[in-house]
Parts: sequence; C-alpha cells; structure tokens
Amino acid sequence: MKTWKRLLAAVLMTFWFVSVSEAAQPPVSLMLQPDNSNPAAPMMGDHLRFWSTITNTGSSTIDGLVAWISLVEIDPGNEQPVDLEDWSAQKAVTGARLRPGAHLMTAWPMRLIKGGDYRVVVSVTDRGGRQVYTSPTIQFHVRQKPVLQVGRVLPVAAGIPVFFIGMMVFTRRRRRRA
Amino acid sequence: MIEIDNLRLAINGKEILKGIAMHLQPGDTYGFLGPNGAGKSTTIFALLGLRPYEGGSVSVLGEDPARNAVAIRRAVGVMPEKAGVYDWMSAMDYLEWFGRFYAFQPSGRDLTMMLEKVGLGEEMGRPVGTYSRGMKQRLAVARAMIIRPRLLILDEPTNGLDPKGRREIHDLLGEFATRKNTAVLLCTHLLDDVDRLCNRIGIIDHGRTRLEGSLSKLLAQEGGGRPYRLRLGSAPDTTDLPTGVAVLGHEGGWWRVQVQGTPAENPSALWSELWRRGWKMMEIRAEASSLEDLYLRHTGPEGHQSQEAA
Amino acid sequence: MNPILTIARNESTQMLMSRRGLAWLLTFSGLLSAFSVLLVSNTELSLLDNAQVLYMMTGTVLAAGALVAAILGSDAYAGEKERGTLIPLLCAPIAPDALLAGKAIGLLAAWGVMFMTSIPYLWAVGASGQNLGAAVCYLALFGTPVVLGFGYLAMAVSSRTGSVITSLLTTITLLMLAASPLLIGPGLRGTAIGRALDAINPLAGALNTFDSVIIDSDPFTAQTTRLILVAVWLVIGLLAARRSASQPVFQ
Repeated sequence: MKTWKRLLAAVLMTFWFVSVSEAAQPPVSLMLQPDNSNPAAPMMGDHLRFWSTITNTGSSTIDGLVAWISLVEIDPGNEQPVDLEDWSAQKAVTGARLRPGAHLMTAWPMRLIKGGDYRVVVSVTDRGGRQVYTSPTIQFHVRQKPVLQVGRVLPVAAGIPVFFIGMMVFTRRRRRRA
Repeated sequence: MIEIDNLRLAINGKEILKGIAMHLQPGDTYGFLGPNGAGKSTTIFALLGLRPYEGGSVSVLGEDPARNAVAIRRAVGVMPEKAGVYDWMSAMDYLEWFGRFYAFQPSGRDLTMMLEKVGLGEEMGRPVGTYSRGMKQRLAVARAMIIRPRLLILDEPTNGLDPKGRREIHDLLGEFATRKNTAVLLCTHLLDDVDRLCNRIGIIDHGRTRLEGSLSKLLAQEGGGRPYRLRLGSAPDTTDLPTGVAVLGHEGGWWRVQVQGTPAENPSALWSELWRRGWKMMEIRAEASSLEDLYLRHTGPEGHQSQEAA
Repeated sequence: MNPILTIARNESTQMLMSRRGLAWLLTFSGLLSAFSVLLVSNTELSLLDNAQVLYMMTGTVLAAGALVAAILGSDAYAGEKERGTLIPLLCAPIAPDALLAGKAIGLLAAWGVMFMTSIPYLWAVGASGQNLGAAVCYLALFGTPVVLGFGYLAMAVSSRTGSVITSLLTTITLLMLAASPLLIGPGLRGTAIGRALDAINPLAGALNTFDSVIIDSDPFTAQTTRLILVAVWLVIGLLAARRSASQPVFQ
C-alpha cells in the first residue's frame, strides 16, 4: 500500500512539474531595438525608429495578436504616460496571425515632440490569452530646442493688429473729410 | 413697350395675380394703382423676369421676360420701394459702380449732373449711411435714371420726400417723359403724383386689373372733372356759367363746383371767366380729386368691381 | 465691366474698406496674435515642436476661414435682402450665375486677405522648424476649396431662406458637426462612424493633410484622396448654391 502511495505521489509530482514547466514557458518572446540610424543624442523635431520582433515560441498558432507601443515620460516630478497622437501615426499592430516559430518584425517610427527623458516599451497580447507580454524597455533623452523665438513672434503679434487699427483710423478720417 | 394680358402668377401655390392687363406705349407715363397687397410689386417682378408666371402673355420692350430677362433689365431703370443703396459708399461711387452693369457708362460729368438734378449735388461725397430717408430715395431715382433707360419703373418714388424733393422728382420724370421712345411706369399710392404726371392708369385689386386706360377718358366716362370749393364775396348768378363748370351745391358759406377736363389741365382760365361773369372769388380750394373717387370705386372687397377699359 | 467683376469689386472693397470688414480683420489678427503670444509665454506650449505649432496655426486659420465663409455666405443673399439692397441687384442686368460668381469671388478675396494676414504669423512660429513652405502651400491648396465650399453652402441656405439668422445657424451647425470628430478626439475617430465621418468630412480631410504634410513630412501623393474629398465638397456646395440662387427669396 505504501509503495502504491509513493508511486502515485511520484506520478502526480511528475505531472505537476511538467505542467508548471509548460505554463512558465511564455508563448511569445518580444525584442525591442533602436534603429541603427537613430541619432545618438536626439533633440526635439528629430525622428527615431524602433524595431520590435515578436516570436511565437509556443506550439500553437496565435490568432488576433495585438501589439502596441507605449511611451512614458520619466522626468523627475513629471512622470506620466505620453499621448502618442502627435508623436507617431504608427501606434499599434492589430489582428496579426503568428504560426509557431514565426516572427513578426515591426517598425515604430516616432517624431520627438517634446524634450525630456522617456522610456519606450512594446506590449503584446492575443485574442484568446489573458496575459500581456512586454518587451524590454529602451530609455532615451530628448534634448530641448528653443522652437519659438520671442523676437520673431512678438513684433508680428503686435504689428499686424496695429496695422489694421491704423487702416480703421485712416478710413474713418477719410470718410470724415469727405 | 409693355404688353401684358391676363397675367396669372402663383407663389408657393397661392395665386397672387389672377388676370393683370397693362399696355404702355412710347411716351406714356402710366400710373399703376392698387391697395397694399394687390399685386403691383409682383407684377413688376414678373415683367423683369424675377417671378416666373403661369399664364397669360407678357412682352416688355418686345422681349419675353421668361426668356430674355437680362436683355430687358439692360434697358429698364428700376427704383424699388426701398431705396436699397450701400451705406458705406458715397453717392458718387455708388452710381459709378452701379452704372457698370449697363451698356451706357456714365461719365463723371453725367454723374455729377444727375446728382445735382436730384438735389444731392452738395452731398455726393458723403457716405450714403449719413443720408436721410428722402435723400436715399432721391439717390435711388438717380440710379434708375443714370443708365438712360428706355423704360423707367418707379415704385413710390416720392414716398418720404418733402414738397421740394417731390417737386424735383416730378420735374425729373416730366423731363424724362419728353424723351423720344421712352415710357414711365409709376407705382404709387399718392394720387396727386398720378394726377400730375400720368396720361394712362391701371387700377388693380386682389391680383386683377379693374380699370385701365387713358386717364382723361376714364375721368370723362366717370362724369369726370374735378370738384372745387369757392368762397365768394356775393351771391353769384348760377344761370350764366361758362362751358365746363357745373354747380354742385351751396353749403356752409362755400359754393361747390365741378370743373371738367383732365387733372393736369390748369383751370385758371375758367376762374378768370367766372370772375368776369360776377363770381367774386375770395378763396378757391380743390377737393379730393375725382381720380380718388375712381380709385375708391374700383378697389375694395373682391367681386364688387367690374373690369373696364378705355 | 463684367458684372461678375463689378460685384466682386464691391464685395472685396467692402471687406477691406468698410468698418465691418476691418473690424473682422482686426478680430482675426487679434486671435492669431493671442495664440502666438500664448505659445511663447506658456512654458508647456513654448516647448512644442515648430511643426506642431505650425499645424495648430494652420488649423486655426482654416477654422476661422470656414467661419468667415459661413458669415459672408449667409450675408450674401439674405443680408442684402434684409438691408433692401438685393432687389436693385436683381433688377440690374445680372444673370443669377454671374451674381453668384461675383459673390464667390468676393468671398475668395476675403479668404485671400485672411490667408495673407496669416502668413506672417505662420512665419513667426514656424520659420525655425520644418515644412513652413509646405504649410503655406497646403493651406492655400486645401483651405481654399474647404472655405469656398462652406461659403457656397451658406449662400445656398441664405438665398433659399432669405434669413441671415437661419442661414448662419444652419451653416455653423454644419461647421460644428464637421469639427466635432476633431474636437471629441481620437476616441470617436477610432470607431466605424468616426472613420466614416472622417472619410466624408472636408474639414477633417484638410486638417489630416496638414498633420500629414507638416508633422510627418508625407509627400503630395499621400494626399490625393483627401484632395479629391475637398474638391467633391466644393462641387457639391457650388451645385447647391447655383440651384438656390437661380430663384432667390427676395420679397
């Protein structure tokens, strides 16, 4: 009887170990790399490009794969997610199908709108799974660039309305003279 | 110049004109009379091609407004009821600008002369927005006349004018009417204007022409002439009267007489003749014209009038 | 002189020389000045990229142009009617199409003045960045049919109703509808209805082109669909205006 119990326990332990090992193995792997042409010290207005590679490491096909890029500002005291609306038109890949062992390589172009420290990450999930897998993050610093020159804006902002006021005064005087 | 017979027109399904007739020959000054809402303005818009008509025949300067409206408007000077001038322009600039739509391009001298004729000579450089209603009215008359039209259509041209302004407009229209191959269509409520200026009239009511023809003939048919009240120094001899004068009665110290003739004719010769026959006139007052009687008899509730022509 | 040019001369002179026209231009320049000063004085906004600022400025100019088109278009027939100046025009030897064309050229002149007024502002905020030339060119190329289309639509309503207030309310409501997906943001635009609205919305088409050209530096070939959209919008507006203006309400 004891032998039976030991044998049963050994079988169950084996199944549990195997199943836990299977479950611990993620069905996708994600890589994120900067493009080789990215500037070393980017500044506002520059373009950056990142490449993500999603590999189906499982044994079944992944349907309805969704991958998306996220950007987080990490300046001290100003930590917040960034709305990518103005930064990039390429924000997600949706509905892709990935056979076991297949890769999906995606380019993520981005235009640097604002200076500061940022961290970029690509996440992926699929239609059936409940897990979200994320890539390693890439951190970069965007140098600030003075975009608006006060010396150029203020004369225009003051000069044009003054011109129209002058026109109004001129036409009024002309009418009075008439 | 204008030949309209049995004109019928509906707006949004409602019949506005139910039988309009109008006949203008060169040289005519035609008084187009009728109460508010009778269809006078709609008739004018129909003959300018601005309102499509449903029945009848319309010919203006030999053209059909349904087909050649722009050609008609090129030869017609129009003054609508509301002056409709741009407040921010000066009278001179406005007339110069408006003249560009027409074949006749008035020169600066033409413009100045016209503005002087309508009494705006001294104000021609001022923005129209500073003008009184009467001044705008006079500018609108100038606008209609500056293009040297063959046909002049005026809707209440003397409305809102002082007696001097009215006299100036009367003189202008009188002068225009003497030109060769031209005609004037005058819409007005002021029967005195018609009395003074028109040789033909048309009275419309409820969208139908009630009466049309020569003013003198119509007045004669209606037992025409004009009534006057006379205050005399002594009792007159009513048995010895010159031709064209009839005594209507004697009441409250006034003698009422009827003088035959067209409204435009001056009865001063008759007054002289009466004086010679012993009528010592201390005061003469014209009563409401017989044109007014004529007008009132042919306007009113629909169905009470008959259509006539002379 | 050609009646079309005679009317256009009157309309454009009114825009440049009348108190009303100059007051509007002063308001418009005040709006752009306030926006520019805000851009340089606000810490957050002053750090925005030039292209982003340029895009915002072109969008503002386009929206103001469409608003002016709605106002001038509404005034074109109904305003003249209410002031009593329409009947003299209709009684003059001017064909309905010529009157409409003259009014449209007058509207174009007003837009032209606004466009010229906006160039110094665009230069002031965008000269140190990218795509300033493209911004100016595309503002002219896409802004003109959008503005004229709204003007034609306003003229169609104005001549049909004879009421400035009705025409203004109708056209501005339509303008707000056209702007609503942009105001509400990407949430609505991501839905099927939002995408469908974007596909037929000339204002969105023009703004998306500004985004694409100024911010993303996309080529002209990427804008052809949207150019067709604004051209179709212009043609629809013109047809509606021609139909209504052939028999305007004037009494």
